[in-house]
Amino acid sequence: MTAHGHIPDEWLVSYAAGALSDAQALLVATHVDYHPGLKARVAEAEAIGGALLEGVAPKPMKTDAFDDLMARIDMLPDDEEAPAPPSAAERGLDTDIPPVLADYLGRRLDDMNWRLMGPGMRQCRLAKGKDGECLWLLRARGGTVMPMHDHRGTEFTLVLRGSYHVGDQQFTPGLLEIAASDLKDHQPMIDEGEDCICLVITEAPIRIHSLLGRMVQPFIGL
Amino acid sequence: MKAQCLQLAPMPHILTRSSPVPAMPLFFRPFAGRETERPAVRQKGSGNIHTGVDIAGLSHEQLVVRVATERDRAAFRILFDHYAPRLKSYLVTLGLGDERAEDLAQETLVTVWQKAEQFQPDKARLSTWMFRIARNKFIDQTRRQKYPEVDADDHLQHLVSDDKADTGAIEGQMADRVATAMARLKENQRQVIELSFFEELSHTEIAERLSLPLGTVKSRIRIAFEALRNELGEFK
Repeated sequence: MTAHGHIPDEWLVSYAAGALSDAQALLVATHVDYHPGLKARVAEAEAIGGALLEGVAPKPMKTDAFDDLMARIDMLPDDEEAPAPPSAAERGLDTDIPPVLADYLGRRLDDMNWRLMGPGMRQCRLAKGKDGECLWLLRARGGTVMPMHDHRGTEFTLVLRGSYHVGDQQFTPGLLEIAASDLKDHQPMIDEGEDCICLVITEAPIRIHSLLGRMVQPFIGL
Repeated sequence: MKAQCLQLAPMPHILTRSSPVPAMPLFFRPFAGRETERPAVRQKGSGNIHTGVDIAGLSHEQLVVRVATERDRAAFRILFDHYAPRLKSYLVTLGLGDERAEDLAQETLVTVWQKAEQFQPDKARLSTWMFRIARNKFIDQTRRQKYPEVDADDHLQHLVSDDKADTGAIEGQMADRVATAMARLKENQRQVIELSFFEELSHTEIAERLSLPLGTVKSRIRIAFEALRNELGEFK
C-alpha cells in the first residue's frame, strides 16, 4: 500500500503527534520534504491534533490571563518587516538536500568530519539517543558492496546523494528504506557512479557476518 | 523557505479574499496597552464599534485574518477565550504542571499574534495551526533539539472554496464532523491515536503499554488515520 521508498502512515501520524525521537523526527521531516504527497499527509495527520485540541475539556486560565498576554505582546519589539532569513545557499550550505537537514548539519556534506568505517565506506556520527539509537551519515563509494548484516533494531536509511540497490529494489535521493528488526542477510549494493550519502538511524548495534567486520565493529561504534 | 511562503500568500490576497470590510480607519490602530480593557465588553455585542463588523459572526479563521490585518484585539480576545483553556488542557495532558502549561499556552498565543499574517486561512484550519505551534513549543522546551518542521501547508489544495470560506458556520460543521469521526473510530483505534497525541508515546511504548504486538499497534494507527482522513476529506 505504501509507495516504494515512502514512509508508512504510522510514522507520519507519530511525527504529527510529536511522538518521535529527535533523530526520527529529523529524518521524517527531511524525507517528507522530497515528496509533496507526504507533506499533504502530514498536514492531514496534524489536523487530527487540531481536532483533538478542539475536543479537550478546557482548563480555566487565571482571571487576568488575557491582560497579562496583551502586556507581553505590548512589550514585544515593533513588528517591522523582519528581513527574510538567509537561504541555505546564502549561508554556504548544500542546496540539493532539504533545508531542514542542511540547517541541522550547519555545514556542507563534503565538509563533515568523515571517518573511515571500512573499505569504501565512511561515516559521520551526528547524535546518540535513548536505547542505543544512533543518527549518522554514511558515505559509500560507487560500486561498494556493504557488509552482509542482520538487524536487532529498526534501521532507517534515507538516500541524500547517489543510489543503491537491495535485491531488485533501487533507492535514489529522497527514498527511504526501513529495515525491520528481524531482517536477515541485509546486503545493500552501492550503484556505480558518485558517492552514495545516506542519513541513517540504527536502533541497536547491527550484526556484521564476516569475522573482519565483527572485529572492526567496536571501533566504528555502530 | 519561510520567505517563499510569505510571497506565495501576500497579505493583499488574504485581505481581498476574506475580509468584506473596507480599509480600517487609521485611528483604530491600537496604542500599547490602551485597548486591553474594552474589547472584552465589545465582543458579545453586535460587534466592533469602530468598524461595525460583527466579529462575533466570523469564523476563527477570519478572526485571525483580522488580527493580522487590523491588529484587532477584540477578535484576538475571542480566539484567546476559546483556545487558551484548550491549549492549557492539552499541555497539562502532555505532562506539564498547571503553571508551565498556562505559560506555554500564553506563549503559543503570543506566536499566533506575531505570525498571524503567515496563517493561510484557505489552506489550514486554525486549530491545526495552533496545535502545531503548541506542539513545537512543548518539544522545544522539553528536549534538546528544536522540532524539525515540515512546511506542510505549502502543498495543500485550497481547503474550501472562496464562497464557503466566508461563512462562519463552517467552523461548527467542521468541529462536529471531527467529533463524529473520532466517535466513529473503534475504541482500540481511538486509543492508539490518543496515546500518540496526548502522551507522545512511540509505537514501541504503546505496544508495551497495551501488551500488544508492535505490528498491531502500527496497523491500528494506519487504519485510524485512514478513517479520519476519509471523514475529514476536505483536503481532497
